[in-house]
Amino acid sequence: MKYLTIDTTTKVSAIALAEDGKVVAEGFLHTSKTHSERIMPMLDQLFAAAAWTLSELELIGVVRGPGSFTGIRIGIATAQGLAQVLNLPLTGILSLDALAWAGWGRNEDIVPILDARKNEWYTARYRWTAESTFAECLMTPQALSISECLEQLKELEQRICFVGDAAGKAKQEIEAALGDRAIVLPDYLSLPRGAYAAQEVWRRWQEIGAGEKVEPYYIRFSEAEVNWAKKERARKGENHE
Amino acid sequence: MTGSQEKQITILGIETSCDETSAAVLVNGVNLRSHIISSQIMTHQKYGGVVPEIASREHSLHIRPVVEQSLAEANVGFKDLSAIAVTYGPGLVGSLLVGVSGAKAMAYAAGIPLLGINHLEGHIYANFLEHQDLEFPLLALLVSGGHTHLIVFKDHGRYEVLGYTRDDAAGEALDKVARALGLGYPGGPQIQKTAQEGNEQAFKFPRAMLEPGSLDFSFSGMKSAVLNALNSAHMRGETLNVPDLAASFQQAVVDVLVHKALLALQQTGVKTLLLAGGVAANRLLRETLEYELARQNVRLVYPSPVFCTDNGAMIAAAGYYHFLAGDAAPWTLNAVPGLNLKSQ
Ligand SMILES: [Zn+2]
Repeated sequence: MKYLTIDTTTKVSAIALAEDGKVVAEGFLHTSKTHSERIMPMLDQLFAAAAWTLSELELIGVVRGPGSFTGIRIGIATAQGLAQVLNLPLTGILSLDALAWAGWGRNEDIVPILDARKNEWYTARYRWTAESTFAECLMTPQALSISECLEQLKELEQRICFVGDAAGKAKQEIEAALGDRAIVLPDYLSLPRGAYAAQEVWRRWQEIGAGEKVEPYYIRFSEAEVNWAKKERARKGENHE
Repeated sequence: MTGSQEKQITILGIETSCDETSAAVLVNGVNLRSHIISSQIMTHQKYGGVVPEIASREHSLHIRPVVEQSLAEANVGFKDLSAIAVTYGPGLVGSLLVGVSGAKAMAYAAGIPLLGINHLEGHIYANFLEHQDLEFPLLALLVSGGHTHLIVFKDHGRYEVLGYTRDDAAGEALDKVARALGLGYPGGPQIQKTAQEGNEQAFKFPRAMLEPGSLDFSFSGMKSAVLNALNSAHMRGETLNVPDLAASFQQAVVDVLVHKALLALQQTGVKTLLLAGGVAANRLLRETLEYELARQNVRLVYPSPVFCTDNGAMIAAAGYYHFLAGDAAPWTLNAVPGLNLKSQ
């Protein structure tokens, strides 16, 4: 079964063409251009290079967050637009689940960290075991302040392997907090890749065996919603007094 | 070749530049087969204006069903389309990107041209949806929340910008005054409604006409005059009559727009004025222009209210003429939030 995956949730545009879980062609761009400028030409070139036609596709997988809000929407709009015309099922996966594949088979717990701005990370925790065909999720995705995340990890006994676009930048901070319990993979292994999304999409597709409605997964509310809720709480609080 | 039917040109238009997700199917430039608008006004109302991040989130959820519904109502499939036209600017960048990304993917997958449409051009082309007999040259007065332009069209795609606002757009000034008066969002329609019970002579607000002969606009001084009046009344512990303020301000804005439009008609000798943009739905503006232009033997054309606010039909209409001209956007097409109208 031939499928395409799209990941635009970080500053990397990552695309893969894959068949039954095996990557056939992969696109990776980490340049100063925007996803909007990069993604369709890249897709076009990959199809040509792999000598695939659109009509051979049977599934489209897309990374639906967490990550850059705009990036999430570009990826989903692109995947949906293709799926709508080609009449194909969609599979939506999480960026952090995909990144767990960057630490395939390792003994350490895998902690993907994505830059969430405002001194926060989108993070989760996974573990590969000898018999597992995919990483078990030990902590579901959340947005945590960097200090809080490191505090939580300090409590654990396991060694931790960090992946994701925030890993390289935070290497010193992580090592200061966790010492030799931390392993920080270099960018070339730990940035989002089409290959990782291709594995996770294949896993999920086999698990649910059908297409699904894909919506963005932001984790966070927008700032306007947060502020409005704050104001509402304050207003209601005043009324109670 | 036998004398088969002439080929139909079917354009899907997609608009997501601000707070409406809209799609329309237009055949041969005039036959509107479907027109779906999913408005977010209710979502943004509690924030007192459009919140860009929330607008983008809403577009992301609505674009697929809106496009699906527009195709279903038009009873066409992607294979029947000649091209897909999409707004790529101006507007909110996050919102534009949802439409641009979706349209690109659809056009690519369908193997048809992608047409990148300037939203402002779209507003003007809304006039062609209902009027097939428009003859160039045409003068357009574009009045919206973000723009106030006077443009002369020599032909499709050939136009010259004669004047534009140097500060606030007319719609923006109306919005800000509406907010100051506590009338809520969207401001234009609220001002119009409130003004009905007011006296437009009650307050004498300035009409900024700029240098003699200039076709540019300036609304920020007029807006400040209202805010100052409110402030000084507040200092004195008085309250002003809100309907009177709304009516007087609306009259001042309309007076300036009409004056400049008449001046442009006089300078160019053009005999048809197209009204476009959200503020084109303002009744006082339409009625005043109707009256003034009739006296000068100039034809006034404006879109039905549904085509004045942001909509996919106007994007499809502009797309139709771009398609005829052989335009096609590259797959690298990006959103351009600050896109303007440049003479061409
Ligand atoms: Zn508009």
